[in-house]
Amino acid sequence: MTASTEVKPVATGAGAFRRWLYRMSQKYVHWFFIAPALIAVLVVAIYPIVYSTGLSFFRVTFDSRERPFVLFENFAWVLSDPDYRVVFGNTLLYVFVTVSGAFVLGFGAALLLRRITAGRNWLRLILLLPLTIAPIVVGLTWNWMLDPLFGLINWILTGLGLPPQTWLASTSTARIAVMLVDIWQWYPLIFLIMDAGLSGLPRAPYESARLEGASEWTIFRRITLPLLRPVILVALLLRTVDAFRTFDLVRVMTDGGPAYTTETLSLYLYRTAFNFNKLSRAGAGSMIMLLVIGIISALMFRYLYRDVERR
Amino acid sequence: MTISLRQRLSAYVILGILALLIVIPLIAGALTAFKPQIIWVSSPPIWIFQPTLENFEFVFIQRQNLLHLRNSLIIATGSVTIALILGVPAAYALARFRFRGSKGLLQWLISLRMIPPIVVALPFYVLFQTFDLRGTHFGLILAYLTFLIPLVIWMMRGYFVEIPSAMEESAMVEGYSRLQALRKVVLPVVTPGIIATALLNFIFAWNEYFLALILGGRDTSTLPVAAATYVGRARVEWGNLFAVNLIIMLPVIILTIILRRQLVKGLALGLVE
Amino acid sequence: MKVVLQDLVKQYPSSSSVAVNHVNLTIDNGELAVFLGPSGCGKTTTMRIIAGLETPDSGHVFIGERDVTDLASKDRRVAMVFQNFSMYPSMTVYENIAFPLQVLKLSKDEIDRQVKEAAGLVGVGHLLQRSSRQVSGGEAQRVALARSMVRRPEVFLMDEPLSSLDAKLRIQLRMEIKRLHQETGTTVIFVTHDQEEAMSLGDKIVVMDHGNVQQVGTPQEVFFNPRNVFVANFVGTPTMNMFDGTIKPNGGGLCVDLAGIELKLPDRFPGAGPGMPVTWGVRPESVKIADEGQPGDVPGTIELIEALGSRQQVFVRAGDKLFSAMIDALHPVRVGERVHLRFDHRGTHLFNAQTGLSLAEQH
Ligand SMILES: Nc1ncnc2c1ncn2[C@@H]1O[C@H](COP(=O)(O)OP(=O)(O)O)[C@@H](O)[C@H]1O
Ligand SMILES: [Mg+2]
Repeated sequence: MTASTEVKPVATGAGAFRRWLYRMSQKYVHWFFIAPALIAVLVVAIYPIVYSTGLSFFRVTFDSRERPFVLFENFAWVLSDPDYRVVFGNTLLYVFVTVSGAFVLGFGAALLLRRITAGRNWLRLILLLPLTIAPIVVGLTWNWMLDPLFGLINWILTGLGLPPQTWLASTSTARIAVMLVDIWQWYPLIFLIMDAGLSGLPRAPYESARLEGASEWTIFRRITLPLLRPVILVALLLRTVDAFRTFDLVRVMTDGGPAYTTETLSLYLYRTAFNFNKLSRAGAGSMIMLLVIGIISALMFRYLYRDVERR
Repeated sequence: MTISLRQRLSAYVILGILALLIVIPLIAGALTAFKPQIIWVSSPPIWIFQPTLENFEFVFIQRQNLLHLRNSLIIATGSVTIALILGVPAAYALARFRFRGSKGLLQWLISLRMIPPIVVALPFYVLFQTFDLRGTHFGLILAYLTFLIPLVIWMMRGYFVEIPSAMEESAMVEGYSRLQALRKVVLPVVTPGIIATALLNFIFAWNEYFLALILGGRDTSTLPVAAATYVGRARVEWGNLFAVNLIIMLPVIILTIILRRQLVKGLALGLVE
Repeated sequence: MKVVLQDLVKQYPSSSSVAVNHVNLTIDNGELAVFLGPSGCGKTTTMRIIAGLETPDSGHVFIGERDVTDLASKDRRVAMVFQNFSMYPSMTVYENIAFPLQVLKLSKDEIDRQVKEAAGLVGVGHLLQRSSRQVSGGEAQRVALARSMVRRPEVFLMDEPLSSLDAKLRIQLRMEIKRLHQETGTTVIFVTHDQEEAMSLGDKIVVMDHGNVQQVGTPQEVFFNPRNVFVANFVGTPTMNMFDGTIKPNGGGLCVDLAGIELKLPDRFPGAGPGMPVTWGVRPESVKIADEGQPGDVPGTIELIEALGSRQQVFVRAGDKLFSAMIDALHPVRVGERVHLRFDHRGTHLFNAQTGLSLAEQH
């Protein structure tokens, strides 16, 4: 505004370089923090994925000297393998049953927790436990619980006058038994998420709805569910992606049996690579799996973001 | 809201059953770890007996599970430490700076969590042969970083977003560089978050089985891999198996009980974004 | 120290509009300058550029004779009080105030002396051992003030430091800031969107909007001689009455035709000429309400009365226009009463409707 603004900066020599250095350091600070993690991720995640993609276009076994380029041969082989189709179906069923089971049980438990006062924190702690225990340990523990001869479950069944079952050895029960154990381990995650979500809900809409005389069911459907939608979607997304790659539990409980009824994608691909020495076929199969998971999560993300933006 | 007595009672009953369903298998299993061999299996179940430590002695000495315990500790702490060192600064930057593509970068990093382990296990297996990393602790640590770094970034970003950026900026105006400001004023505030993140990542690495099975050599087998070998045998040594199970479970459960508030908050923070 | 902003421009990469648009400004040594403007007008951004927390796209910042544009915050010798942050939560009050001194490698005794002095000045001497959770919002803001003082900065920057406090505390702290400024004689730049705060504090007021400086002047200049429509509208509560109209010749002089109301223009507006579209304004304080009409008065009906303690705001409808008048609370008026509006010519303003600039003589 006044004449004194006419001071002219001098930009020459070392000063100019120092200025430039300062500007650059201001402009690119974030890379200074991000670069180490980014480089690490490129090495440990992106490189393997790219490598795996490459692998699936060649014919590779563990001992092969030559690795001929075969284009889609591996993909064609996987897609035409009847076992693969069975296993894919198994996995879809597994995901559907365990995720919806865990959701109903977890959300239900979180809602029930609202009704009680004493012992809330104890229940929260107990329900946190299964999440933190290794799936391997969970599977082994339930193997013992479900043992046909001396397992606790059959002991209770016979006590109730019911016939004992060979849970993990019979085609009619193995699937359901493994899925129930999966739900046992993971519904607490849904519970935890929904519990946090419910605790964070605002009060005002409920109070005004009650004043207007809305029924509890209407309130739940019209207020609770819409408010929790983003949380529910994230919870479902996480659980779906994890259920898709289930390996540990099935591996120790049934190892895919009996008669392939519990074989999941991860188990199948593991066997293809390491038992049958078809590395590149497993590579192709895992690429397909990655694609399916990518599509599912992209769809859920889209759904989630649409929801967030509308609010 | 008024809750009728019946509603409250039914809630207690159902939640009580759920809690028992969780606790009973865990306790029954843990007890078996202390049973002498003749009552490892029994029907009806035996709840009262003279406890013994012979199963632990057997697995640690005969089955070399002490070595596996050591491997598990090295790999879990090693990978979590490296993941924190790399991930925390990145989480900070992604929480603070908005730059071209920052949102996409964040989403991309977080979505790495969704890669099925088989996708990385195969190439790692091949590459480890090339680079002679099979059967080394470092190899497994490297493989675990694939999942731990995105998890760290995801959780820690939530904690950093909660801290006003004016906090470190104030320190920067008061004579400190950004790094000094981070160390002196931001670090003390996010420490609980770092602890929760470390714990969750530790649990993840400690419990991991799939990559350890494929990429671990004989000398780097972790406890979960060792535990799984007990089922393949003609007769399952239940007492020994549960001794190993208990060693896997106990540290995690103790840490969970001590840090459960931070853990729940950390999980919720990352999720409810 | 004198602060000079030279042609500052800043646009955030993620934003489509410029946050700071060619700002030129000189703040003299020892002055208390207030940046005033609606939220989002670029006050904080300008202040952050001065503090070195944001790099301008172009332009320069001088503190004293130093060009600090490319100097890190820590080397600028300024202090800043933030809008939404006051205390480091991991430290006690004492440690907070000592924090800026620690980097200077002073002796423990020296630090102790300075911490106590600063704490005494802002009245938190008795709280030194409290943790951040044990102090109230007002006390925390005082700690922030003390922390900004201990380094004896050349310029104080305060970004809405009082906006999170309740009204009474705000006024009290405002007075203390004024006192501290007078005692230390250091240059202060104070940001606020509250024009009353700006008026009571500032030696110089910088009115901003959309990243542009709209007017620089004393509180009186900004209030009595607004340079454009924006300043006239923004400064002063209640807001100025403003209506669009055109200039017409009237006898020997000019008048303004406000579509139905014709008002004679005083000769304070040399910029006005016949046919020009204008915005005419009058402050509510300059509107009188009379029961008996005189030539030049505007007749109307009282529509609403708001009691404001010693004053009352009266809304009067005249044709399609609603005027507001600030009058003495004892003046008897009632809703529905027919009255005459009389404008004090010293309180009227005229602006070019196209450019928005004032048509009054500029000093
Ligand atoms: N970090 C940022 N990223 C993008 N745009 C910003 C950022 N900070 C402020 N803005 C935008 O710049 C403009 C000026 O903001 P600001 O300086 O904070 O205004 P004030 O302090 O006057 O309220 C606003 O339009 C605001 O939306
Ligand atoms: Mg602001």
